[in-house]
Amino acid sequence: MTPKTAPPRSTDRPLKAVYWVLGKIGGGVFVLWAVATAIFFGIRMIPGDPAQAIMGGPGSQASAEALAQARADYGLDQPLAVQYFSQLWRLATGDLGTSYSLKIPVAEVLRELVPPTLTLAVLALLVAWVLALAVATASIRSGAVGRALASGLEIISAAVPHFWLASVLIMLFSTTLGWLPPVSTQTPAGLVLPVATLALPLAGFLGQVMRDSMLDAHTSSFALSARARGESENGVLLRHALRHAALPGIALSGWAFGSLLSGAVVVESIFARPGLGRSLLSAVTARDIPMVTGVALLSAATYVVIMAFSDVAERLADPRIGTA
Amino acid sequence: MIHARTLAPRVLTTSAMLAAALILAGCSSTPAPGPGAGNDAGTPVSGGTLVYASGDAEPSCLDPHVGGNYPQALVSSQYLETLYTKDASGELIPWLASDSTVSEDGLTRTVKIREGIKFTDGTALDATAVIANFKHLLDPKTASSTGYLALGKIKDMKAVDASTLELTLSTPDNSLLESFSMPWVAIESPTALKRSQADNCAAPVGTGPFKVASWKKQDAVNLVRNENYVRPVAAAGHEGPAYLDGITWRFIPEAATRYAALQAGEVNIIDNAQPDTIAAAAKNDAIKHLDAPRPGASNRIEMNSSKAPFDDVRVREAFVRAVNVNAGIDSLFFGTAPRSYSPLSSVEPLGYSDESLFGYDPAKAGELLDAAGYTQRDAEGYRTKDGKRLSLTFPVSTSQSVPAEQSLFEQLQATAKESGIEIKLNLLDLSSWYGALFAHDYNLVSAPYTKVGPSVLSVLFHSDSTIPAPSGYFANLSQVKNPELDKLLDTAGSTKDEAQRKDLYAKAQKLVLEGYYLLPLYDQQNHFLYSAKTQGIGATTAVASPIFFDTWLSK
Repeated sequence: MTPKTAPPRSTDRPLKAVYWVLGKIGGGVFVLWAVATAIFFGIRMIPGDPAQAIMGGPGSQASAEALAQARADYGLDQPLAVQYFSQLWRLATGDLGTSYSLKIPVAEVLRELVPPTLTLAVLALLVAWVLALAVATASIRSGAVGRALASGLEIISAAVPHFWLASVLIMLFSTTLGWLPPVSTQTPAGLVLPVATLALPLAGFLGQVMRDSMLDAHTSSFALSARARGESENGVLLRHALRHAALPGIALSGWAFGSLLSGAVVVESIFARPGLGRSLLSAVTARDIPMVTGVALLSAATYVVIMAFSDVAERLADPRIGTA
Repeated sequence: MIHARTLAPRVLTTSAMLAAALILAGCSSTPAPGPGAGNDAGTPVSGGTLVYASGDAEPSCLDPHVGGNYPQALVSSQYLETLYTKDASGELIPWLASDSTVSEDGLTRTVKIREGIKFTDGTALDATAVIANFKHLLDPKTASSTGYLALGKIKDMKAVDASTLELTLSTPDNSLLESFSMPWVAIESPTALKRSQADNCAAPVGTGPFKVASWKKQDAVNLVRNENYVRPVAAAGHEGPAYLDGITWRFIPEAATRYAALQAGEVNIIDNAQPDTIAAAAKNDAIKHLDAPRPGASNRIEMNSSKAPFDDVRVREAFVRAVNVNAGIDSLFFGTAPRSYSPLSSVEPLGYSDESLFGYDPAKAGELLDAAGYTQRDAEGYRTKDGKRLSLTFPVSTSQSVPAEQSLFEQLQATAKESGIEIKLNLLDLSSWYGALFAHDYNLVSAPYTKVGPSVLSVLFHSDSTIPAPSGYFANLSQVKNPELDKLLDTAGSTKDEAQRKDLYAKAQKLVLEGYYLLPLYDQQNHFLYSAKTQGIGATTAVASPIFFDTWLSK
């Protein structure tokens, strides 16, 4: 959607912003369409009759009559093309359909499950940011040995799989020390272990990139001139290096949010927490096509929005990035 | 009944095993409990909420008429009751029914319904209410799989008077009362059944000691005490309402989290306890164990006799002799799963077993394979016949076979290799696993089947069961088609003579065991762990799902 001949920057800046926003929206719609299409056709390639999924799975011994009824009720007796376009039309009008296994509207299920997953993901992202910045800042000032130590820790935590970390945290803080509940209840204490499980690997990853660019900034000429102006070492870190360090962090946060959503599948199952991840897992196992489609579309939409936001945030943090 | 256990993916079970192993290591220093540590010590007190943590997949419907799997039976046993049940000794006893008689020709079954019982919505229990339930089960829209089969021989039903139900059968069925004892045929309020399926699934209404108050999906089903409860089962420990104020029924799919929650005192009882955890808990005074094997079939490996190489009984026996089952069970189940040599569960009074058929004997396996023509060996050491390797496909459902069972199959694979038999284990999710079975793409398979009474033998071994249902499903996985066996099973299922029934079912079991159609492993495992403060645990339904009517929480 980007215009081929860009008008002069100084005069038409608002118009360019509109184009930019329209482009983002168009791209987002394209992504959603692609996801819906991929799921529609992809899910039909894995074994299992959707009518059987509706009637309680392949072991249900549903009668021919019941299966035929289910096919008619859910429009599964229509030609594939008709099913595809009517599915797209329903999605476009905001109708996510009815869950095969739960027999209630998918939108209703999602409304209940989005808040707990969102809480988990947002908290994990915040904690990861704070941890990554703290470690990066501290290690910058503690010389080569400190940096190597921090870097090692970051690599280890970034490489740790969620299920392993979760098991270790439960054993340490619930079974042995008895400080925190192993099951994620609605209380704040119940959030600690799931958030930590998601945040630690992410913090390791963010910390790596942040320290690299912070170190670049810290040794750069503008930091030198700031020091020459009499800026304190803390001032250099906070006013100059931090902003540099934040840039790759912001750029990665869109990706990070996506990885948090996939991490939620594991974490929500281990900590027995209600949420999108756990319902995606059970929906895939049950071949619940409307639920899988709903969760995937919602995740894709969230991802698109977050990416747009991180684009904007990046532009705000670094004025050198243009609008087109 | 076909059921799905916990649906956690492989990656989670691996972590669970790791975690459990570490927990096991951590607990080994605690002293062992004294012998016969009293469970029901003290005077029962009312009050408190029991927290139950289930490792099963959360049911999509709380009404066990819809579908009909074990997780539904577990939760619904608290708020629904059945016409018949079994007492602790395995004797079939009336519950919501008071008596039953059958006509001389076996085609008319009269059931007397107990009077003065009300559902928790105020509707009275009578013969018409039972008919409404049976009609609900038989309606294709309900999509009952388990209850539907149990009522298959009912041709007509009528309420003679308020407390008398008369059933006309298409053929005599001496397992009908046993079928009535299964939670999938539980009796619900006919008024409540008139609601939409979604409403009824969310809060079925029964006569049980508890009722469904709310259900927050993926979190908990909240049950509260039925204050008007009057009719406990004959064997119950007390009269009147339950001791507990209510039950919070939670779903914690991860085995390690479930056990950690029990240790932390967050939950009172957990199900699907795994062998390593049970062994760890045995060293912990604060945790107790309820072992409640399920009725129906034993857990067994079935051999697909409809195609090569298992169309030859010598090869089937050779496989049985080549695998070292006992060594595997000993090392993987920590003494929690005694070996079975019967097609039926050890809780079935009519079970017949023959240990002599199943001894580990590689030498004999070798002789049998030589006789069957598998005389050559290929480069990898596997036996061949006409240049074709002796190879067996074994699809394994990761949701039906627990991690210890999957490991057992790997050990069997290793011992079979020593005799030159190749076993190809395919770990599959439930839908793909059914897909492999429907396509007859298996030589070996292990599938649990829960049902009350020996009539499960007809389900598993009658030639009628080789004919796939419209969904593709068939229960006779060993594909045995034997007119003599069919006749034994048919007569055993319809005779009015209890001694003859026992004799015929024994003959049928002897036939399938000696024909090497199956390799029995152990009972269908059903282990619960609970905190020592949770008293009065032990009563179960006919399918071994616990009932918490007598349960109370000590301080």
